[in-house]
Amino acid sequence: MSDIKADSKLDTCGKCCPMPIVETNMAMKKINSGEVLEIIATDPGTLTDIPAWCDRTGHTLLESGESDGVMQFYVKKG
Amino acid sequence: MKSLAIVVREDGYDKLLTPLAFAYLQGAEGTQVDLLFVNWAVRALTEEGAKAQVIQGEHADQDGWVRQQVEKAGLPPDIYDVIQALKATDNVNFYACSLAASIFGVNEDNLIPEASGIVGASWFLNEKAAKADHCQYF
Repeated sequence: MSDIKADSKLDTCGKCCPMPIVETNMAMKKINSGEVLEIIATDPGTLTDIPAWCDRTGHTLLESGESDGVMQFYVKKG
Repeated sequence: MKSLAIVVREDGYDKLLTPLAFAYLQGAEGTQVDLLFVNWAVRALTEEGAKAQVIQGEHADQDGWVRQQVEKAGLPPDIYDVIQALKATDNVNFYACSLAASIFGVNEDNLIPEASGIVGASWFLNEKAAKADHCQYF
């Protein structure tokens, strides 16, 4: 369990590429710079896609983890 | 990547999924995506043709199952609905190749409104594909 407090949460569990990244882009547009989005996913592709997406788009991956096939990402909007 | 050009030649429900998924990924991220539909695939840019897309060949009997899996993945199971979702990103343009349109029966009357028009391949290759950061062919 992370100590990071998310301002918004996106649950993509059960969905597969391209939807986690598509929905993450949409969710990011709805929050303000400096706010944190928590993303929950079960698509293993997100393990590479989300960190690389953060690098490209100027957002910061604060923390990520995996438990029982569920991935969790905390991304601070740049 | 600022721009991506995609040429789509193969039609069929399953064969259209990958270029459309790639376009959706990049369009959602803000990349300018331009797709040219050539050969049989041009018919996917008509409402009737988009709805008629099925899995062909050796996997034809798995069409229903694949559509269920696509819906579970979060994508609309209908090709026309996927095209509309891509268009809603405001970053994806669909073009019909004029030669393919002529051969396969696509014109301004049956072209879907989400398409930006019927264009010459030379224009697309020089103005979109050659100037894009990346170009793909499906």
